[in-house]
Amino acid sequence: MRQIILEGLEQVYNKLLHMIAEFLPRFLVMLIIVLIGLLVALVLRYILRALLGLTKLDRVSEQSGASRVLRMAHLPSMSELLSRSVFWVTWLGFFLVGVSVLGIPGFQEQISRLFRFLPEVFVAILIMFLGVAIANFLSRTALLAAVNAGHPSARILSWAIRFVIWILAITMTLEELGLARQTVISAFSIVFGATMLGLAIAFGLGGQDLARRALERYFGDAKKDTDKGKEPQPL
Amino acid sequence: MRTLAEDTFLADDLLRQLMSVGEVDLLVGVSCHNALQQLGEAVQAIERSFQQFFVRQRVVIVNIDGGDKDTQQNDPANSPVAHPTQTVVPGHGITSLRTINRVNATFSVPPAPGAALRTLLAAADLLRARACAVVSPATCNLTPDSIAHLLRPAFQDKFDFVAPLYSRHKFQGLLARNLVYPMCRALFGAGIRELYTDEYGFSGRLASSCLSQNIWNEEAIQARPEAWMALSATGSNYRFCQTFLGEKPPAARGPATDIVEVLRQTVGTLFWCLETRQSLWLDGEPSPSLTTFGPDHELTTEPSNLDPHRIFEMFRTGVTELEPILSSILDPDTHCEIKNLVAIEEGKFRFKPDLWVRTLYDFAASYHHSVINRSHLVQALAPLYRGMTHSFLLEHSDSSPAEMEAASEMLCSEFELQKPYLRERWKTNVEVTS
Repeated sequence: MRQIILEGLEQVYNKLLHMIAEFLPRFLVMLIIVLIGLLVALVLRYILRALLGLTKLDRVSEQSGASRVLRMAHLPSMSELLSRSVFWVTWLGFFLVGVSVLGIPGFQEQISRLFRFLPEVFVAILIMFLGVAIANFLSRTALLAAVNAGHPSARILSWAIRFVIWILAITMTLEELGLARQTVISAFSIVFGATMLGLAIAFGLGGQDLARRALERYFGDAKKDTDKGKEPQPL
Repeated sequence: MRTLAEDTFLADDLLRQLMSVGEVDLLVGVSCHNALQQLGEAVQAIERSFQQFFVRQRVVIVNIDGGDKDTQQNDPANSPVAHPTQTVVPGHGITSLRTINRVNATFSVPPAPGAALRTLLAAADLLRARACAVVSPATCNLTPDSIAHLLRPAFQDKFDFVAPLYSRHKFQGLLARNLVYPMCRALFGAGIRELYTDEYGFSGRLASSCLSQNIWNEEAIQARPEAWMALSATGSNYRFCQTFLGEKPPAARGPATDIVEVLRQTVGTLFWCLETRQSLWLDGEPSPSLTTFGPDHELTTEPSNLDPHRIFEMFRTGVTELEPILSSILDPDTHCEIKNLVAIEEGKFRFKPDLWVRTLYDFAASYHHSVINRSHLVQALAPLYRGMTHSFLLEHSDSSPAEMEAASEMLCSEFELQKPYLRERWKTNVEVTS
């Protein structure tokens, strides 16, 4: 009996030693891969930061209004954000490769799924960034045009444009990520349709005079409108 | 060895016409876009000017044709009695001793002013013209005298840029009076009152110099090339002058009267010139001399039907609604002072010169640092310009021309005084630390 127990323990011990002997080199390989990954990621971050500095991406981002959104979200500048993203993605990639070397069952499949998902995440981030930039640019254009033309509620118009483009960008991002695809599209259609219908009804019922004036301004007697707001000739 | 046809951007047909003309002494360019009805009268005025004042000179009229079919019918150059490029015009008492050549530069669509001027400069360079003038048929007071006034200083007195001077109503041209003129005078030393104009003259030397510069695709140049041309001459060994042409013709409806469009074209170009020629004003004190022919800037005081109340309301709304945009452009103190102005009663409202100058210098520096899209930045100036206009209308409702001139001089001094402020803001690195 005692002999059997000792043999069993010895077997377990030998197995453990064997496993450790098998695991340790793999673990070391993983550590080496992760360290190399860290170095590569650091170098890539440095290079990308320098390149983005040369391309003056931050200035473009500032002009488009994207930097403002980043500031609101307490995020760093655009070039810093991209550099850091590349750093983390690269390092994460190396880390996952390293972990796969350990040969843990079921892990390989999860890792490959994660890798397949990464391009979609990148595209989603890009869509979101472009959406924010376009929304800011167009809403500012609308605000300036409306204010300088003396239209009432210029800021509401500007916010409406920003809101619609944001909703569109968020919907496209979620669709790209494949999150509740049908629900998102349906929700977007309902929200967008309801907003437009609401605006149309509100304008039709409450803004008859405004609509008439607008139509008269564009198709009616132009002189009447010209005389109304006479300004000195600038040049 | 490259041939002329390979080196030039001019169309073959135009080149053919120019080569048949040979060398000339004087060139007058006329753009017929939007003014077909007046084209014939303009060409006649130019011809009469040649006949009366430049009898012995070799001359050419270059017509910039925007591809409108009606042009062909209205252009007297295409009458069947004359050779397409050469016309001997019936005399009006005096006859030119030379042939008056006509050249048509035809574009498929109306060219931008920058493209039209570039064509004229290339033609002047090719024909070795000594003096050139650009006129607009839309100008209703185009006379042989006025054309001669533009050509003569460049041709006889060796001036390189000839700007017009007009007699005008005291409340017209406020953008020129309160912004363009004093700012250019302070920064470039060029006290040209009419920097943005449809009529001006220049020497062949300046034409060749401007033509050789690689800026013709710039948006600022495409819209208003004349100001850039004048400012290009500052800092170089060129001579300026102004010449009185009479009453300022009223602008036709369209971009010339839309304040936002005018700001984009004029202030946008001016800020662009500030940036591209910053070495002139940033480190030095340019002081080109300016000669004036004829009376120096006349003001008339007829009653006007302006609406100061609406202008003030647009200023007030603009400052309130554009607060986030203005905060990114203006210095916080300047912005705060402007916001305080909104609360002032309309009748007591004054946009003080020092605040106006600081505002403009903030805009110029922010344009340089591209804090927001540059077109947006210039558009954001419109409400503030309206505020200044309202203040000006109130302040000078009963002022005499002499009093207004004194106020204008004071504004020029303020621009001069605050140059260090602009230099400081210009050189300050705007950290984009998001």
